[in-house]
Amino acid sequence: MSDLALKTENLDKLFKLGKREVRALSDVNLDIEKGDFVSIMGPSGSGKTTLLNVLGCLDKPTHGTVSLDGVNVTAVPEKALHKTRKHTVGFIFQTFNLMPWLNAVENVELPMEGTKMSKDERKKRARELLQMVGLSQRAEHRPHKLSAGEQQRVAIARALANNPAIVLADEPTGNLDAKTKYEIVRLLSKLNTDQGTTIIMVTHDRQVGSRASRMLFLNDGRLLKKERKGSHFMQLTCSHCGKEIQPDDTFCAGCGKKLGLDKEG
Amino acid sequence: MKNLGVFTRALRNVSRRKIRVLLVVVALSLSMAILVSIPAGIMANQEAAKELKANYEAYLGDIQEEIKEAYTLLEVRYASGDFAGGGGFPEVGSFPEGGGFFGGGGGRRPGFFRSENFFNESLVLEIEALEGTDAVIPFFEKTEGTNQTISTPFGTSIEMLIPDYTIVGVVLDNQIISYYNVLPNTILEGRNLEEGDTGTVLLSLNSTDYFGAGMGDPVDILGNSFTVVGIYDETDILGLNRVYMSLSEAQVITGCEGQVSSIDVYATNENVVDELALEISALDENITITTYETRLSGIEFRAEMAEENLELAEATLSQTQALAFQEIGIAIVATSLIVLFTMLYTVRERTKEIGVLKAIGFSNGNIMSQFMLEGVMISAIAGLVGVVIGTIAAPVLSTALLPPITGINSNSVNVTSFVGRQVSLPGLSLSATAAIPSVELLLLVFIGALLLGALGTLYPAWRASRTSPMEALRHE
Repeated sequence: MSDLALKTENLDKLFKLGKREVRALSDVNLDIEKGDFVSIMGPSGSGKTTLLNVLGCLDKPTHGTVSLDGVNVTAVPEKALHKTRKHTVGFIFQTFNLMPWLNAVENVELPMEGTKMSKDERKKRARELLQMVGLSQRAEHRPHKLSAGEQQRVAIARALANNPAIVLADEPTGNLDAKTKYEIVRLLSKLNTDQGTTIIMVTHDRQVGSRASRMLFLNDGRLLKKERKGSHFMQLTCSHCGKEIQPDDTFCAGCGKKLGLDKEG
Repeated sequence: MKNLGVFTRALRNVSRRKIRVLLVVVALSLSMAILVSIPAGIMANQEAAKELKANYEAYLGDIQEEIKEAYTLLEVRYASGDFAGGGGFPEVGSFPEGGGFFGGGGGRRPGFFRSENFFNESLVLEIEALEGTDAVIPFFEKTEGTNQTISTPFGTSIEMLIPDYTIVGVVLDNQIISYYNVLPNTILEGRNLEEGDTGTVLLSLNSTDYFGAGMGDPVDILGNSFTVVGIYDETDILGLNRVYMSLSEAQVITGCEGQVSSIDVYATNENVVDELALEISALDENITITTYETRLSGIEFRAEMAEENLELAEATLSQTQALAFQEIGIAIVATSLIVLFTMLYTVRERTKEIGVLKAIGFSNGNIMSQFMLEGVMISAIAGLVGVVIGTIAAPVLSTALLPPITGINSNSVNVTSFVGRQVSLPGLSLSATAAIPSVELLLLVFIGALLLGALGTLYPAWRASRTSPMEALRHE
């Protein structure tokens, strides 16, 4: 087995809008090693989400191939793709997309349904994952009782449920305030370093993107040549006074107010 | 265990939209109640129709017998002074309810103000000797009463008999009793007269008052003691107190040994009736013969009416069944459509959820079975409620949804006779048959509800399973 978690070759994606043809992806070649934390950045409409959908087997490329964990998934028939989505990929969405009528544990359990795990094993694993994302106290709460950040943590736990080879995050911080955004990025970063989870994160937020170990840039469906090493650092500002703060600060240096950041995160 | 999650989730999904599910359940359960009630009503109607048909057939059979008898029967009566005897009595029209045409309780018809003239019993033997006679049955009938002198407004006075009771003497021969209509057939208490009975009488109900005697009591008739062996229902319009006994005893106690008042002659077939009538008339100058020709039209009219009514009832029943099939069809289509549109709406509303489920690895089959289960679950709830409503409301609903059947929902059939009188056909009364659904029917409707639910959900669930995850995720 190769060390590549994901490899794309000459990926093209065309959409037909009436008579007009729109090229959403154009000749995308991408190698992502296991354990990488890659952010794909670019302006709105640059094809970031399309790329993520193609990588996550939610959409088929017009040309080219996608290999996940050494398997060419573009050759997998539609009927069998759900297995790849279940076992190889974990999805994190901008709007969390939790099932509102299921509580946190049940939401995390959902992808494990239909696997060989017993109900007890599933429950146990879900609780472990919730503990990992720091939500063991909120396991029985339904999404509407959770804050946005907590909901995204549940979604992250859900994405990890079947131990996927790769986690795809589509604007995971897009619906969060600055403080929560930081918590979530730190959590993803921690998962990457501690668990070795391969993460591809699409974002248009430079601060968030810079936390990844690699930053790729997409424009007009093309992957730009320039690539940056991420800093694992993100410029944060105090939500009270707007001054720059350091990630590990408990109090704002400017206004002195408590920042309430999650030290664990 | 693997699918327990799906089941719980389906249950939760169903309970998520309570008002919608409630409305759907109400609509579906009404459909189901209709599906219970109509077949129950039809079954009840069929039962009633079967009973009606059996009644009609028995009635028509009786009429056929009467017609057959009437064709071959010659009533031999004493001619002079007989102003309203036998055949001359009103025929068509007010038939006594529950009875045959032949007078009270089905026995011998009585004469009315009959002058008491008798034939010599030897006439019986003479008629028997004629060619073409099948049976010759003599009767003895004598009314006992007191003579009273009544003054008229014109200064004159007439003497007339005020009747107390009529003695009817019948040949107690088993063959005659069983084959011919010689004794009353409306026994209320005790038994009828039998072959070999002596010293026994059969009293009409009204004559028990006159004699002050009941079942098993001794009665005194013209100084002779008899035992009452039976009482029959006297429904004769004349209301005469009648006493049946053996022919010979009747002759002896009235002092009329060797005499008979009338003779019923049955011809071997209807072709010899006319000739036989002539031959019998030639035997005695006092003989008058009624061949019942005048009565035939009346009897035939009744048969026709009965047949028409039966046809009418059968026609309405088949119309009712056609209507029932339409109504059942509408209920089935409505049920499927309600489920179809509800589930289509549900699928549309939950498009994003479908996208998410697919993104986290749910297969098309998972999605499809999820929605199928939900649709069937709603139908199952509706089926249960519908079966309960149907069981309670079936009699009312089936009456409301099915037209009434002539002759089935009424106790007797009223027809207009050809002389313009209302005639109530006897013997056709039916107990009202209530539409009570059987357990099998309820079970069938419940299973039907599940199947219809599955049918209605099939397309929406299939559509849900085919939803592209990417497009579904974009759906807001």
